[in-house]
Amino acid sequence: MKSKLLNELPELLEHNIISDDVASNITAYYQSKADEQPNRLFTIFGVLGSALVGLGIILILAHNWDNFSKLVKTCFAFLPLILGQVVSGYSILKKKSQAWKESSGTFLFFAIGASIALISQIYNIPGDLSGYLLTWIVLGLPLIYVLNSKAVTMLIIVFATYYACELGYSFGNADKAPWLYFAMLLGTIPFYINLLKQAPKANSTSIFNWLYALSLTIILGAFIGSNWSLGFLMYAMLFGLFYNLGKMHVYNNQQLRRNSFVVIGSLGTVILWMILSFNMIWKEMQNELIVFNSYEMLISIALFIAALGLLLYSRKNKENLKFNLFQYMFILFVVVFAIGHSNYGLGTIFTNVIVLALGVFAIKIGADSFRFSILNYGLLIITAMIVCRFFDTDMSFVLRGLLFVSVGLGFFLTNYIMLKKQKELNHKTLK
Amino acid sequence: MKTIHVFLIFIAVVILQLFVPAKMIFDKEAVLKTGTVYKFKTRPIDPSDPFRGKYVTLNYELNTAETMDSTLRRGDKILVYLETDSSGFAKLHSVSKTEKNSDRDFVEAKVQWYNSKSNSVNFQLEFNRYYMDEFKAKPAEDIYREYNRRRDTINKTYALVAVQDGEAVLKDVFINDKPILYYIEKQDNQ
Repeated sequence: MKSKLLNELPELLEHNIISDDVASNITAYYQSKADEQPNRLFTIFGVLGSALVGLGIILILAHNWDNFSKLVKTCFAFLPLILGQVVSGYSILKKKSQAWKESSGTFLFFAIGASIALISQIYNIPGDLSGYLLTWIVLGLPLIYVLNSKAVTMLIIVFATYYACELGYSFGNADKAPWLYFAMLLGTIPFYINLLKQAPKANSTSIFNWLYALSLTIILGAFIGSNWSLGFLMYAMLFGLFYNLGKMHVYNNQQLRRNSFVVIGSLGTVILWMILSFNMIWKEMQNELIVFNSYEMLISIALFIAALGLLLYSRKNKENLKFNLFQYMFILFVVVFAIGHSNYGLGTIFTNVIVLALGVFAIKIGADSFRFSILNYGLLIITAMIVCRFFDTDMSFVLRGLLFVSVGLGFFLTNYIMLKKQKELNHKTLK
Repeated sequence: MKTIHVFLIFIAVVILQLFVPAKMIFDKEAVLKTGTVYKFKTRPIDPSDPFRGKYVTLNYELNTAETMDSTLRRGDKILVYLETDSSGFAKLHSVSKTEKNSDRDFVEAKVQWYNSKSNSVNFQLEFNRYYMDEFKAKPAEDIYREYNRRRDTINKTYALVAVQDGEAVLKDVFINDKPILYYIEKQDNQ
């Protein structure tokens, strides 16, 4: 962006659009901005380099060199670890640049893994992958704060997710709920909050937004035990929490691609409701008992309270005063879930009506704010809804055909009307 | 925070990072040096671990015990008390959920299932990973299969395990009193 503007300067000067003063001010502004972050690229390559070297060392050690004596192998186990520690210590003590800290931290993180892996090999230490990952993560976690390192934080989130998948989704073996995953994630939160305060719009912060949202979405399923029907409730509450979180001031005035919480919250909610719009799911669920003293319920309640808290907070602070149906979907879900569990027919009908309402509501937001993406998102919700009904209802083909034609026309018309309106509006403002 | 404070915390982290692997070594060394050595009859199969490389999973013949404790569930930890049979192999003495007041050696195991009909528990001994050179793990399994195919009672595959205070360290895997590596090298030389 900035280089583009700087390249344009001569042309702007030539045509007397801006004065010499303005041009030199612009140049100076970008110059100072560039000076503030001279080694961002260097940091990225440093981190990538260390990560690759670190992983390479782990792989080389995993070969398991049995010609070496135990002593030699033990030395090799500590060599990368100590090297990483020395370089990290040096960059702290000498107040080296962030690039140094990020790279050395990344290397040290992988060196920890290499070290305990090699010792596990030498002594045939039993224990599955999750136990090994747990030790690794616990030893690596403090590096986030001493090195103030974003790269290590990202690695910890990714590895915590890996750990929880290993423990929670180990098909065939006894699945265990990976509670420690939350503790690990909690360990990274202070760092993240600090980032949100200091640089909410930085690219790295938006990477964190996505990492947290994806990781939690993936791992929540690992907590679903025998009460599978409560899994729907858990996810509905999580998406409700995400959406309301994304509507908080820190996230809401950012671009949509940075606001993972709104994107995943909204998409997740729609997909979940779409699944439940099938009659057979409610039918199956009716046979299931709702177990109130299960941890699936406990998690659902905790998420519900958190989501409700956020909703009330945003009402109180008068951030987005406009009514937004998406924000209330999690409350609606609790009601429909309770009804559907006792009467599956009603559950199905309510779900279908609400999804339809959701689609219409999205169209309305899109039309009001002249945003084509949201308008078409609403239309897509309705289309998906109709496609789903295509499979499980006994509607006549003519009726189904007419429905499709009318929704198709709806796409054309709504977009066309909005385009026209927008043009008129632009015309007016130009006049 | 001042740099020196951060650095001091960092030093604490460094010590922890060195301490954990070092403790792993010391614990295992202690068992190897002073623990009692048992032979467990076994069957090896080779899988792999993304970070720690290839290993051979050992399926031990010692995997069931009679017990009246029907509260045992899959994944529970139980203690397996050991004795030695007439030919020198490890044999089950008894199982228990809690530590008994006896000098007898024991190892930890994970409950697989409890059979209430026969009042017996099926368990898996913890020391079931034998890490090997990535190119030798598969041949090791093949060699084992080859020796076992003869279906005779002469060929015996067993793991040598040092045991002390419930802690067990797998030392080596043997076929007929020779380490499994010996057979792989023999095969390579041929």
